[in-house]
Amino acid sequence: MQMPPALAPALPAGEAGQHYYLPSRSLAPAPPAAAPGWQRQQRRAYGWGLYPALMVLALITLAPLLTLIVVSLTPLSLTDPAGTFHFRDPLGNYRQLLKDPRFLHSLWVQFQLSSVGVTLQLLMGLGIALLLHGRSPVLGAVRSLFLIPMVLPPIVVALIWKILYTPDISPLHQALEALGWPLRSLIANPDTALWAVVAADTWQWFPFTMLMVLAALQMIPDDPLEAARMDGANRWQLLRFIVFPHIRAVLLVCALFRLIDSFKAFPLLYVLTNGGPGTVTEVTNFYGFIQAFNFSFWGYGSAIALVMLAGVFALSALVSRLGREGGHDAR
Amino acid sequence: MHAEAALYEPPFPSDKPRRPGWLRCHGREAAALVLLAVLLFPFLWMVQLALRPADAAFEPGLLFAPTLEAFRALWEDQFARAFGNSLLTSTLSTALSLLIGVPAAYALTRWRFRARRHVALWILCTRMAPPIAFTIPFFLALRWTGLLDTVWGLTLIYLTFNLAIVIWLMQSFFAAVPAALEEAAWMDGCGIWAAFWHVTLPLTRPGLVSTAVLCFIFSWSDFFFALILTRTQAVTAPVAIVNFLQYDGWEWTKIAAAGTLVMLPVVAFTLLVRKYLVRGLTAGGVKD
Repeated sequence: MQMPPALAPALPAGEAGQHYYLPSRSLAPAPPAAAPGWQRQQRRAYGWGLYPALMVLALITLAPLLTLIVVSLTPLSLTDPAGTFHFRDPLGNYRQLLKDPRFLHSLWVQFQLSSVGVTLQLLMGLGIALLLHGRSPVLGAVRSLFLIPMVLPPIVVALIWKILYTPDISPLHQALEALGWPLRSLIANPDTALWAVVAADTWQWFPFTMLMVLAALQMIPDDPLEAARMDGANRWQLLRFIVFPHIRAVLLVCALFRLIDSFKAFPLLYVLTNGGPGTVTEVTNFYGFIQAFNFSFWGYGSAIALVMLAGVFALSALVSRLGREGGHDAR
Repeated sequence: MHAEAALYEPPFPSDKPRRPGWLRCHGREAAALVLLAVLLFPFLWMVQLALRPADAAFEPGLLFAPTLEAFRALWEDQFARAFGNSLLTSTLSTALSLLIGVPAAYALTRWRFRARRHVALWILCTRMAPPIAFTIPFFLALRWTGLLDTVWGLTLIYLTFNLAIVIWLMQSFFAAVPAALEEAAWMDGCGIWAAFWHVTLPLTRPGLVSTAVLCFIFSWSDFFFALILTRTQAVTAPVAIVNFLQYDGWEWTKIAAAGTLVMLPVVAFTLLVRKYLVRGLTAGGVKD
């Protein structure tokens, strides 16, 4: 078969003798699996789609990451930006972190907020999902409304709870006072401030677990449930031995996602307590924010951000693995 | 919980003994409605506060003449400008991330190259990274280039999460389009991107719209980036609310009105794209 001259260079020399279906030039290119020339063209076309995005992603994610690492090795700050951009003591910031009681305390606050908050969210989300799982038009309509706390902009959630926690204006405080139990402001009291934030955080994020668990509940086949009912299993046994094994993977994925996102908690803290009273509600993210943008110690703030980044990536690796294993249940 | 207890109570005796009683049938629905009312109470309280006249803000009870006075006061203040900034930044960022992200998502779906999984992991990491890790370098870079406190600077940093969302979500939508359709278009003489434009993209329009809505909402809801990267000129609506809280005395009705305005588009839109919400929120972690 004689090749049209224009197409000949597109084929690797070694394969030129084989029998390819070569179209005349007025026709479309050959079926994609058959012609290497078309494949190359295809690859180039896909590259045109992909590479700009990868370049932008590199510019807005990798470049900042490198900057963050470099800056964290210097004592860069607002007061002396030129003079402090040196690497005489690259690990100085990290060494200081280990002895900084405020940082160590922020880790402990973070641990409390994340562990209690995520646990409560999971329990509440699971409970409400079990309540709402059923074929009824009312339940279907109500399901969407339960999502409202999660879809509200975080700053509006913070505002809602600010109203609820400000004694002057709060319906909660007014009602309790009318009943004869006046209540001190929960967010101004060091003993309750963190738990007030946890309550707001739980309110905001229980719908996430609820939504995921509802999706998983719908995937459970009817047969084992029927069979167990025939055998006389009660509701608790059905839940414990049939339903729970089906949604365990989803619950785990939810927990990890919420755990990772709980490291980013900011608007609630900023509006409700501003890290206070004292440093009672100052989580690591918030402390990093204060160091970098209130005190303008950018080098030190970067070191804090990198420590958080490391923690988040370790957890993400776990999510990625679990997502691959448990993903079927989650959809 | 009383909700559970209601379910276990024996049915009411009724005149038709075969049929289960009302509580048995509707107990769960009633419990769900009660719970909904309790949980949404704080939210509804903010909305009613926005409708109060300013002097009735501190009165308990719900007896007041609803008025839009607070919204009018808000509009005469600086808030209109912040609202406009929010609209502009969110729209720009959504458009840019779709423009760059959609072709990339398509290429990632159809082009099976070896580094595909690394790209996916990269996108997942972007989604997971704490915002402060982006904020410090962006702050320094924008300060250096003079883009601090501009709509463009904010638009750029919103790409860090929006691009990841677009690439991740659109991949699952493109994967649902049978490749045979595109191959047929190739046979008819379309190039890859012509086939994409005329065949694949129209088929994924609902997915595209949902993705755009999610991008818009995520940019619209952002507070952290806007707080740090804007001062006066490019302030967005969420930051304006906080400024009200901190500087404008305690004009609660006005603040509540601002909150209501910021939340209205978001609530309306997300209930529309509810189906894809979880995919957007878990982008990267759960296999589609």
